[in-house]
Amino acid sequence: MTTRTQNRFAHTYTLLRKALPDEPGWLSELRDEAFENFKALGLPTVKHEEWRWTNLKRIADTDFVPAELAEVSEAQLAKYLIEDADEIRLVFVNGHFADKLSKLPTIPDGLVIEPISRVLGSDEGLQVKLGRFAEPTQPFTALNTALFTDGAYIRAGNSLTIQTPIHVLYVSTDSDAPAVSSPRTLVLAGESSELRVIESFVGHGNSPRLVNSVTEIVAKGNAAVRHVKLLRESDGTSHLGWTELNVERDANVSSHSINLDAGLARNDVHAVLAAEGANCSLNGLVLGRDRQHFDNHIVVDHVRPHGTSSQLYRAVVDDKSRSVFAGKVIVRQGAHGTDAQQQNNNLLLSNDAKVDTKPQLEIYTDDVKCSHGATSGQLNPEAIFFLRCRGLDETHARNLLTYAFANNVIEHIKIDPVRLALEKLLTERFAGLLGGSP
Amino acid sequence: MTEPLLEIKDLHVSVEGTEILHGVNLTVNAGEVHAIMGTNGSGKSTLTKVIAGHPDYEVTKGDVLYNGKSILEDEPEDRACAGIFLAFQYPVEVPGVSNMYFLRSALNAQRKSRGEAELSGAEFLDLVKEKAKLVDIDQGLLNRSVNEGFSGGEKKRNEIFQLAVLAPTLAILDETDSGLDIDALKTVASGVNSMRDPERAFLLVTHYQRLLNYIEPDRVHVLLDGRIAKSGGKELALQLEDKGYAWIEEEAATA
Repeated sequence: MTTRTQNRFAHTYTLLRKALPDEPGWLSELRDEAFENFKALGLPTVKHEEWRWTNLKRIADTDFVPAELAEVSEAQLAKYLIEDADEIRLVFVNGHFADKLSKLPTIPDGLVIEPISRVLGSDEGLQVKLGRFAEPTQPFTALNTALFTDGAYIRAGNSLTIQTPIHVLYVSTDSDAPAVSSPRTLVLAGESSELRVIESFVGHGNSPRLVNSVTEIVAKGNAAVRHVKLLRESDGTSHLGWTELNVERDANVSSHSINLDAGLARNDVHAVLAAEGANCSLNGLVLGRDRQHFDNHIVVDHVRPHGTSSQLYRAVVDDKSRSVFAGKVIVRQGAHGTDAQQQNNNLLLSNDAKVDTKPQLEIYTDDVKCSHGATSGQLNPEAIFFLRCRGLDETHARNLLTYAFANNVIEHIKIDPVRLALEKLLTERFAGLLGGSP
Repeated sequence: MTEPLLEIKDLHVSVEGTEILHGVNLTVNAGEVHAIMGTNGSGKSTLTKVIAGHPDYEVTKGDVLYNGKSILEDEPEDRACAGIFLAFQYPVEVPGVSNMYFLRSALNAQRKSRGEAELSGAEFLDLVKEKAKLVDIDQGLLNRSVNEGFSGGEKKRNEIFQLAVLAPTLAILDETDSGLDIDALKTVASGVNSMRDPERAFLLVTHYQRLLNYIEPDRVHVLLDGRIAKSGGKELALQLEDKGYAWIEEEAATA
C-alpha cells in the first residue's frame, strides 16, 4: 500500500514538474531532493509514534491530481476576510496566486510582500532561506517542497515596524477529481523588525482534497512576529500543516493555531529557540464537531540559555469529534535559565467525543523552570448551577461557559482585528449570547 | 391575611440516597428577615440549595411554596426569574466571563421573563454604578472575570452586589458572613439593611451570631439534625452565643 501511495504522488509530481518548466535550477534540485526524501520516508501510519492517534488512510487511499487555479468571486471570498485586517492581502486559490483577489498597496521600503512565484528568479534571500528551516526531512514538508506551486513571501528589513496585519488566504475549491494543493509561506523578519501575519486556510465546496502546507517564520535578533493560522477548511479536506519557527536572539514570536473547521487536520509546530533570550508563545484552539479530527503536535526546542516559551492549547469537542494534543519541550544542554510552560485543557461536550493528550518534557540541563499540565473534562456543574441561579437558562449557561473556555485562548491574540473577529465568531457559534464580549 | 412569601412544609430531602432534611417547616412573610442557625452538618446549606433548585438534591416528601405555589418542579432559572436569589456559601469562579457581562445577561434574562424591556448597555451601567456604591465594591472587580482571583471577602461582596442589582423578592444568604473581617461584614450587612423592604424577605443562614449584631432578624430558627429544633425572636441568637447549641439538643431529645 505504501509503495502504491508513493507512486500516486510520483504521478502527481511528474504532472506538476511538467506544468512548471521555467523554474530556476536551484529550485528543481531542491524539489528532486525533497521528493526522493518523501519516497524514502513514505506516508506515516498509526504505527509511527507521532501518528498513532491520526490515521491517514483517507490520504493513502486516494489519487490526488495537482489542484488548478479556479474562479473565486469577491463575494465568495468576503466571508473569510477579517474586518480591519484587509488592507494588505495575498490570495491563493488551490495553491495558485489570484492577482485580482489580492490587495498590495504601496508598501514601505524594505518590506517585501509577494507571491513566491514572482520573486523566484530575483530574490536571493528566498533562494537562501526557502526550505532551509522546515527541512524536507519530514514526509509532508518533503512533499510540500516537491509539490508547492506558490505561496506568500514576506520579508521585513531591519528595524522596520509593520503594524498593519498581512492576511494571506489559501482558498481551496471543488474539483472533479481529488486534488492536492501545497501552500508555502516564508516570513523573514529582519533584526528589530515587527510583523503581523495571518494565514487563513479556507475551504470552498466540499469535494475531497488534500491541503499540505508549510510555513517558515524566521525572526532575527530582537524581531517580533505575531502569527495566527486560521483553519476554516471544508469537511472534505485533509489539512496537513507544518509551521517552522526559527527564533533568534531576544526575538519574540507568537503563533496561534485556531482550528475552526476541517474534516481532518494535523498541525505541526516546530519552534527552535536558536539563540540566547529567544521567546515564543504558542497557543491553539480546537472547536470540533460532527466527525472532525484535529491533531496538534508541538515541539519547542530550547537550544540556548534564557529562552522562554509558553504553550496554551485548548480543545472543545462535541458530537463524535476528536482532538489530539502532543506537546514536547526540549531543553538542550547549556540552555540554562530556560522558562518553559505548557498547558493543555480539553472540554468534552458529548459522550462520543474523544481527546488524547501527551505533554512531554525533555530536559538536559539544570537551572530551568518548566511546568506542564493537562486536563480533560466536562463543564463544571456547580458553575452551571450558579449561572442558572442568576436566571440564565441551562443552554445559555452552558454556551457561556464554553465560550469562556475557548475565549481564554483567543484573548491571547495580540492582533486586535483577528481577536475581535474570532470573539464574534465564537459568539455566533455558541448562540444565545448577548452582543458584546463576555 | 396575605399569603406567606415562602412556606416550607414537612420537607424531606435526600442527597445520593442519604436523607439530610427530615421534615422542615418554615414560614417567611414578605418584609421579614429570618435567620437560620445551626452547627455544621445540620442541613443549613441543603435547605438553601433545595429552595434554589439544585439538581443533586431530591425532595422525597413535603413541599416548598413560593407565593402560594409549589416551586419544586421549577428549574433553577425559573425560580431566579420569579425572584428567588441564593448568595452562595462558596461563590463559583467563572473564568473568561466578566462580571458585567454575566450580570447584564442575568438581569436581562430575568427582565425578559417578567415581560420587561431589556436594559441597554448604558442603562445597565448607570444601575451598576449606583449599586456598586451601595456595597462598596471596587469598580475594577466588575470588569474582571466572575470571582476569578477574588479574595474571600471580594467574592462575598460580589454576591451582595449581584443581590443588589438583581433585586430579588426572596434573598437567601448561605453563610455569606463566614470568613469575613469586620469591615467586609459591615458592608454585607449594610447592603442587606438598605434593601430591606415590605415586599422583600431575607433568609440568612449563618454559623455565627455576629452577623445578627448588624442585621436585626425578626425570627431566629435553629436547625438541628435536619429539623427546626427551636424558633424564637432575636434574643434566641444571643442565647446561642452564650450557651452554644447543646441545650437545644437536650431539649430536643427530651421533647
